[in-house]
This record gives sequence, C-alpha cells and structure tokens, in this order.
Amino acid sequence: MNWIYRGRCWKFGDNLGIDGAIMPLRFALSRETDPIVLRDFLMSEVDPEFPKKVNPGDIIVAGRRFGQGNPHIQGFLGIRGHRLGLVAESIPRGSFRNVINAGVPFLAPCLGVTSTCETGDDLEVDFSTGLMRNITRAQEHQFTPVEPELRDIIAVGGWKEHVKQRLAQSTG
Amino acid sequence: MGQTVTEKILSRVVGRRVMAGEIIHPVPELVTCHDWYVVNFDKALEEFGVTKLFDPSRVLISTDHEPVAVTPQSSERQKKVREIVAKYGITQFYDVGRGGLGHMFPIEMGLIRPGMFVEAYDTHVTNYGAVGALAIAFVVEVSEILALGSVWMRVPETVRVNLDGKLQRGTSTRDVAQKLIADLGDELIDYSVVEFGGPGLAGIDISGRHTLCNIPLEIGAKSALVEPDEVTLAYLASRTKEPITPVKSDSDANFREVVEYDLSAIGPQVAMPPTPDNVHPIDRVLGTPIQHAFIGSCASGNLRDLADAAGILKNRRVHPGVRLYVTPATQEVAREAARTGLLEIFLAAGATMTQAGCGPCAGGRIGGMAEGETSINTGTRNDVRRLGASGDIYLASPLTVAASAVTGQITDPRSMLQEAVS
Repeated sequence: MNWIYRGRCWKFGDNLGIDGAIMPLRFALSRETDPIVLRDFLMSEVDPEFPKKVNPGDIIVAGRRFGQGNPHIQGFLGIRGHRLGLVAESIPRGSFRNVINAGVPFLAPCLGVTSTCETGDDLEVDFSTGLMRNITRAQEHQFTPVEPELRDIIAVGGWKEHVKQRLAQSTG
Repeated sequence: MGQTVTEKILSRVVGRRVMAGEIIHPVPELVTCHDWYVVNFDKALEEFGVTKLFDPSRVLISTDHEPVAVTPQSSERQKKVREIVAKYGITQFYDVGRGGLGHMFPIEMGLIRPGMFVEAYDTHVTNYGAVGALAIAFVVEVSEILALGSVWMRVPETVRVNLDGKLQRGTSTRDVAQKLIADLGDELIDYSVVEFGGPGLAGIDISGRHTLCNIPLEIGAKSALVEPDEVTLAYLASRTKEPITPVKSDSDANFREVVEYDLSAIGPQVAMPPTPDNVHPIDRVLGTPIQHAFIGSCASGNLRDLADAAGILKNRRVHPGVRLYVTPATQEVAREAARTGLLEIFLAAGATMTQAGCGPCAGGRIGGMAEGETSINTGTRNDVRRLGASGDIYLASPLTVAASAVTGQITDPRSMLQEAVS
C-alpha cells in the first residue's frame, strides 16, 4: 500500500459530528456501507459541493473530536470512497476504531495541526512515518504514526478484509 | 511503576505485564450480546463463512431489548434468535422471563466476579464494573470476537475518582454520576476507564454502583469499574462459590488524573435535552410540564432505584396527565419488588409495570412518547427520538422522576420527603 498522499488540504474545525456534519444520518440508519454510494454525500451538510471538489490523495485536516457522536462508520467509508487521507487533532474512541475499520489512512492525535495549514495548501503526508510536509508553506511537522498492527488493518482495506485474513490464517 | 486495576486484569488475561497504551488481543472470559443484534452477527458470520464460534460456552445472549414481542416481525425475530442460539450451541441463553437486562442479571447470578474480563456488543456492559470486573463493548466487531476469540484493543488509561462523604437526603448515585460526567468532560474521559474508590464507596450499595459504572460511557469512557471492597464481597458471598480475588490498583499506579469527589455536596441533577452530559441543578428546570415518565433501564432499574421511587409514590397518585412506566431491570428485581411490597405501591399509585428488561429506553418500542410530548425518565440517553417520537427528554434520578410523575411537572423530590417527615 502507498502510505504517501499528496494533495490539497481541506481544513475543518472542532467537534464535527459523525452523524450529520460528516455524513447524513440517514445512511447510518439504512446501514449503507458502499464507499462509492457514500462518497457523494461526504461533508455535504457542511458544504454541498465538497464531494465534487475533492480529488483522490487530498487530505482532510480536522480539529478536536473529529467524528464525535454515536460511532457509525458511514462517514469514514465516504472518506475511503474518495481515497482521501485524514489528519486530526483528536478522534474519539468509537470513531477511532471506525477510521481503521473503514481502511482510511490517518494520523491522530495531532495536537496543533489545524494551526499549521489552511484549505488549499499543497500537502504531502506519509501515514507510515507521521511526517506531514506543507509544500505551500515550506514547513514540516512530525506526528506519531498509527501503530504498525493497526496500519495492517488499513492496508488490507479495513475490518472485513482483515477478519477474512485472520480467519484464513487461523484455519490455514 | 505499579499498575491500575485495568492493567492488572489485562496483564493476567494476555499472560504478560502490559501497561496503558499497548495494543493487545486479549481473549475475554465472557462475550455478551442482546436480542436485537443476534440476527446481525449471524449474518456477518455467514458472510465470513464462519460456522463455529471460537467458544460458544463463553457467550451469553439476553432477550432484553424487546422481551415481549408485540408485532409479528418481533415474534419472527425472537424465533430466529432461538434458532441461531441452537445452531451455534450457545448454552447461556436467557430468553424472556429468564434473566432480564443482560448488563445486570449476570451480576445478580454471580456470573460476574472481581477481576473478570468481558467483551460485548452493547456499550452499557460496563455495569459489570459494579463488582470490579472490566467489561468493554466493541459493537459490530463482536462478530470478530465470536469467530476468532479476540479483537485488538489499546490498554486504556485510568481516571481515578475518589468518593468521599455521604449522599444527601433526596439524592441518589444517579445525581452523582450525571454531575460527574458533566464536571469531568469528554476530553478527560475519552478512551479511559473510570475507576471509583475512596471512603465514600462504603455507603453505596451494588445497586448504586451499577449506576456509577453505567453513566460515564455517555461521554466516551471505554469502561468503568468500582474497586472491590467489603460491600462487594458481602454481595457475592451468597451468589457464587467460585474463589474471589479482589484486584485493586497499586498506590504508585499511573493515573491519567485523580479526582476527589464529595458526595455530600451534590443535590438533585437533571440532564436536559439533547445530551446526557447537559447536566444542571434541578432548580433550572423546576415546573416544566411532563406527560411521560419512566423508571428503569440499565442505568437505574435496580431494586434500590425502585425503592427510592416507591418511597415517593407511597400514598400518592400519579398525576392524571402523566403516564408512568416502571420497568424492573431483571426478573430478580421484579420478584423482590413484589416480595417487598414495592409493586403494590406502584400499582396503587397508577403506574404501569412492564416486563423485566430495558423498558421504554430501548428506542421507545414499549411505552414510548408521542410527538411534542415531554418525558422525564431514568433511561441512559436523551437524544431526540430515543423514546420514539421527537420531544424533550430530561434524565434524572428515580426520586426526581417519581416526584415529577406525581405533580405533572419537574419537581424537587426533597420537597416531598420533607412533607413525609412533618
């Protein structure tokens, strides 16, 4: 898996709710889990044009408690659908598991990250080392990467694929 | 450096010394799931091609979210649950009428002991901390646990809460727990185990400890537990013959934070809509008209909670404009409520008793609200539509809910207790 993403920065504030701000609640209630369906509604309650503006490799930089609320996975599957990376000041426990389970490369907690960049900056993030380069501002920031064993889950494509791999290993 | 209770329990389970922050794959001694997710985990296991559970003898299923099937669909679901339980050879199946609320009756039955490690589907399993067990929910990942025996977790940090003093008349542990989560806040609590200790614990029975261990979940705690003491041992003495080894934190354990909390400084608290941590002293909402009231749930459905409410309702009647539902959490609580005369008080007051389990708190399928109504209840959450239709939901102690049901508006229970004295 390529752990280095380069693209445009999309910056968001604190306390973005998983149900609503990140993904309309109706998709959690209908248990929709197709990233291709969900990507068209990512952040649409904050910015209806967002799904059309982003490109694969772009990076969401978010404030504290990104994905707070009832831990539904749909918002993170929407991020996966666009092949975006995520760097957040913090992610609450339930959503922390869901970012991994959705197979989204991310860095968190990254205290202070929102003060280093603005929407539109050209960013390069290595999710395996935790190094974030802001090319626009010619700055580098080092964060702690996610543990290798949790990155393994992201690398195989998320929770379901990882369980299948574990099952194959346990019976093989 | 010493270890917290949590670090000690997880070290024993994985067979090596672990500390907060480490990623581990502990194998739980018990896995629980309720009636509303059994069909879902079966579907997930079928997708994975799994036909046998890792260890069916460690799995406990409870019919508590919808114990009395009132639609053809729920009758069909109950039938499917019974078939799935039989298919996987799950022996610890507590169907309607057998146990009650799955976060509670296993404690009464002596199935949960200090130092035990439990994993579950449902978040409120943390009640098991009432007797010093560590119980953690993994929601949909329960399928992975059922199939493979484990799932990854990070050894959590601990926020230690030392309780001191005694509860004021007219207050209960529900007021304490609500005030506590509002005071501590989600930034401090997230991903931690809230561990209760201190001299104030001696005055709090197991019933009250359920409540203490239940509420912190609402702001992101991974679990909560009470340091086992004489109260724990006395409670378990008649309930289990298994050896009990109380596990406590070392004096030099590394806590994220140590908080001192004075029980005697806390009056009645009400969580206002729309979140359980939007907690204020009752004065702020006194006089708010209500039409719906409920006493029960895994947060406040024990015998002590029912006895508190009955103390207010004795020789009083529920207000004509209010319907009050009372749900004993377990079969044992219901039986004890009958034996000790509480049931008679509730029925004489005009309350409606429902089958042991979650009661209205499980989505309002039983005794829910209508559009625009206002409820005060002892459920776990007050999100919009938690009890079916939209309307304001206030969360409070059984004492406050009972007092409000009598007057038809949010009422300080201390006013009624004083009347009783004079």
